[in-house]
Amino acid sequence: VSSTNAARLNKFKNKGKDVGECRRRRVEVNVELRKAKKDDLMCKRRNVNSCPDEPTSPLQEKSQNAQTSRPWTVSEIVEGVNSNNIETQIQATQAARKLLSRDRNPPIDQMISAGLIPKFVHFLGMTNVPCIQFESAWALTNIASGSSDQTAAVVSGGAIPAFISLVTSTHQHISEQAVWALGNIAGDGSGLRDLVIKHGAVAPLLSVLAVPDLSEIPRDYLRNVTWSISNLCRNKNPSPPMPAIRQMLPTLLRLLHHEDKEVLADTCWAFSYMTDGPNDRIEVVVETGVVPRLVKLLGYGELTITTPSLRAIGNIVTGTDEQTQAVLDAGALAMFPKLLHHNKANIQKEAAWTLSNITAGKDTQIQEVLNAGLIPYLVDLLVRGDYKTQKEAVWAVTNLTSGGTVEQVVYLVQANVLEPLLNLLASKDSKTVLVILDAVNNICTAADKIGETDKLCLMIEECGGLDKIESLQSHENEVVYKAALNLIEKYFSGEEEEVQSVAPETTTDGYAFQISENQSTFNF
Amino acid sequence: MFITDIRKEFYEVVANQRVALLVASDVDALCACKILQSLFHCDQIQYTLVPVTGWQDLSTAFLEHREQFRYFVLINCGANVDLLEMLQPEDDSIFFICDTHRPVDVVNVYNDTQIKLLIKQDDDLGVPSYDDIFRDEEDEEGDDSGNESDDGSEPSGKRRRFDEVNIGHYWREILFDYEQYEYHGTSAAMMFFELAWVLTKDTKDMLWWAIIGLTDQWVHDKITHMKYVTDVATMQRHVSRHSHRNEDEENSLSVDCMRISFEYDLRLTLYQHWSLYESICNSCYTSCNFKLWTLNGQKKLQEFLADMGLPLKQVRQKFNCMDMSIKENLRDVIEESSNKYGLKDIRIQTFGVHFGFKNRFFASDMVHATAALLESTDKDGSDSDNFIKALESLSRSNLDRLHSGIDLAKKKLLAIQQTVASCICTNLILSQGPFLYCYLMEGTPDVNLFSKPMALTLLCKYLLKAFVHSTRNKRCKLLPLIMAAPKSVEKGTVIIVGIPPESEISDKKNFFGRAFEKAAESTSSRTLHDHFDTSIIELKMEDRSKFLDALITLLS
Repeated sequence: VSSTNAARLNKFKNKGKDVGECRRRRVEVNVELRKAKKDDLMCKRRNVNSCPDEPTSPLQEKSQNAQTSRPWTVSEIVEGVNSNNIETQIQATQAARKLLSRDRNPPIDQMISAGLIPKFVHFLGMTNVPCIQFESAWALTNIASGSSDQTAAVVSGGAIPAFISLVTSTHQHISEQAVWALGNIAGDGSGLRDLVIKHGAVAPLLSVLAVPDLSEIPRDYLRNVTWSISNLCRNKNPSPPMPAIRQMLPTLLRLLHHEDKEVLADTCWAFSYMTDGPNDRIEVVVETGVVPRLVKLLGYGELTITTPSLRAIGNIVTGTDEQTQAVLDAGALAMFPKLLHHNKANIQKEAAWTLSNITAGKDTQIQEVLNAGLIPYLVDLLVRGDYKTQKEAVWAVTNLTSGGTVEQVVYLVQANVLEPLLNLLASKDSKTVLVILDAVNNICTAADKIGETDKLCLMIEECGGLDKIESLQSHENEVVYKAALNLIEKYFSGEEEEVQSVAPETTTDGYAFQISENQSTFNF
Repeated sequence: MFITDIRKEFYEVVANQRVALLVASDVDALCACKILQSLFHCDQIQYTLVPVTGWQDLSTAFLEHREQFRYFVLINCGANVDLLEMLQPEDDSIFFICDTHRPVDVVNVYNDTQIKLLIKQDDDLGVPSYDDIFRDEEDEEGDDSGNESDDGSEPSGKRRRFDEVNIGHYWREILFDYEQYEYHGTSAAMMFFELAWVLTKDTKDMLWWAIIGLTDQWVHDKITHMKYVTDVATMQRHVSRHSHRNEDEENSLSVDCMRISFEYDLRLTLYQHWSLYESICNSCYTSCNFKLWTLNGQKKLQEFLADMGLPLKQVRQKFNCMDMSIKENLRDVIEESSNKYGLKDIRIQTFGVHFGFKNRFFASDMVHATAALLESTDKDGSDSDNFIKALESLSRSNLDRLHSGIDLAKKKLLAIQQTVASCICTNLILSQGPFLYCYLMEGTPDVNLFSKPMALTLLCKYLLKAFVHSTRNKRCKLLPLIMAAPKSVEKGTVIIVGIPPESEISDKKNFFGRAFEKAAESTSSRTLHDHFDTSIIELKMEDRSKFLDALITLLS
């Protein structure tokens, strides 16, 4: 425990900094906070123009701080919002908002069961008191940020239409809060997402972005709108209604050319959601011509952007050959050396997954993968990728062997795929084992076609693959056992004689599957 | 980490080791030191005693002893900074910290290996929980805060909106709340007395030192009245336990016997060693209540004395020489008249001691005497000389030293009283908006006395009390006070002390430490934050006005 403590402590305080410096930094932090608190207070005053008198001295401010930071109880809030005095209602709503935004454990359920939601929704409509609109919108946002039940409570209080009309409020901070709230509601899942769409949220949300230049929009506001729109594209079963998608696409395309990283990230996620589905959904996206931009973002060099853009590209190549071709034509493969060697295992995995879907395509597309020099990277992932990445790489190989030409399979074998591939037969996952056996079978078939079966079998044996395949005959999974048996019967049964007949050759170095001078015969 | 079993985790650990004892310059620390020294003598534990007056001193002392020692005991210093960060010790150096300074630095609290805090955990510490402040970054990201995580994972479907301050900085806010006020916890002397008691090695001398330690906290206004009364009750139980224990012993009547008694005594400083009149004039309580700096106050005092029926001649002569008949029920007489004059609480729970037949002292006498010796401005005495003399004054074998301390203390109290009177009468206390401010100029009588932190703090407290009694401005009554006095003419520096507002129910929590640091930083003022109390600093004379301006802005 103490060693981990020490590590955490070290993380917390930079060891090595000199004492004065550290002390200074701590002081800085503290007093910055004091300032932040004061600024915060001022902000609130700005928002809450009819709030109580300002403190006159720091001591009073202190005691007042103490008072305001003394959390109201829920019943005090209930009493406050039910009063006839607008000032009191504002204070109570603000107190509720504070409870919901400051506390570690926001009393969401207590607020709900105290029946506050309809009150707050009512306040949303008080156009002549912007201050209370803002506070109640914030409070409801935070209630909606909770569990599904809690979000549902906000919705059944009638919040969706109220928020939608606030999206176009002339007060930007109110609009922003409404947008945020709608994002939370839509983010709950397909059901509420479609309800938000049905209430007509899409048009007003897009309208706030209908300016000639997106950089006119304040950064945080733009981020919030982007995130909320991305939530409208999110979740499956069912996926969002097609008309809404079509409606949002042009704006999302614009956002994808904005320079803010968070906006880009959320927009990329939106595209990844939209492409996560059947081919007709992919088609709608590809039609917009977004693919080159997505491909460019693959190389953006920020994890927050690489991840979703790679996901989107990966989704697109699950589509038709034509859709896949759009990705290839945009030069996506040139990005893959970097992605396959990315320092995040997750990116390696996703890249391998994407590649596996490309190698599942036409042989011309496989050829593009070969031409991009990606096979050595794939082999390398088989050797040292993490387990999930290895699985995806196995798929990429198997797909290649099943859809590729004999020549392409030969190339693969020459790239030393056999040993790492066969090593993975030790995997505990039967599915992976079967996929590998499938690949071996495909490679053997290819060898058969060019009369190089013997050489191939020797190679498999040399790298210990035969032992592994043989031991799979006692595998608990019957399908695995049968596949292994099948391979052995087909290619390794005459083994004894074969070994002897080939033996002399093994003394030369020519027994490796070198392409002979006469390439046209496809000899290994 | 906090030590729960002080015997096992502290005493038995150092029992066969050499120990470096780093002791701060305050009376409570000295008393704690005396107790620990006695225990160490008793068990023949070798130690080296090093007085330290501030952070620089502490660092130097550590540097000088880090080679020879593995175990360091810090008394009334070290708890409120990240000590390992500051000292950069070897991994096997162990620090036992018995310190009343609060808040305790969180890193000290959560270091399990090198920092051992001899601090009671029931001491109203309010330390933030480990998880709240040392959460791993991954945990932070797991939070559905408004911030996007940067690991490329899918954004959260729902996001709660936090207050601006809160976003991603929850721990900072907690830490801020925790660290913003400075205050004091249970007396170090009491902590070590408890150790002695647990070891069943407690003696009357130790008990007396513990009482003095506690009384120091009261005299220098470091703890709340409630805390004082509670701890007095604890001490009272020990006092009666010890009285019973020695009841039948012969030595209870001998010349060198020692008797401690609980007293409900007068809030008249040093009156047993002064004249009653001088004590009344120079005690904060009576002086403020009568407003003795006014003519009217002086008149009232005369009426008060007359009301008691005490002849002026008796009142003005040495207390020792007063008629026995007067002394006999003096306390009742004074209390009765005091009540009439609105001095409702002139009596306070405290303790007295008899050394043999002749010498009688109250705990507060000891505090004033020792403090005066500790901050003696005697030209030949160095800080460590003063420290030794002050330590000596606590031994009953050195009553001469004690008496010299009492003489010094009288001079100091006189100086304080005169300074308070002149500051009030010449309106030297200015309201700066968020706080009151008083600057003692070079050339003010006794000003060199107030270059010392304890003396200046005491002056500050007395002055604020007097001011609150004298001003009619209700708002000003609620303000804290900052005082500045020349520190060193050669270096051109001033010493600055800030104290919290004066009130009966004050929690004695002081926010000036943080404020001083920030004000100094924002103006690049040349300051020295060397004192263990962060609300006491030194500052270059020329930087005084910009520093104050920054402070006003900061606190407005």
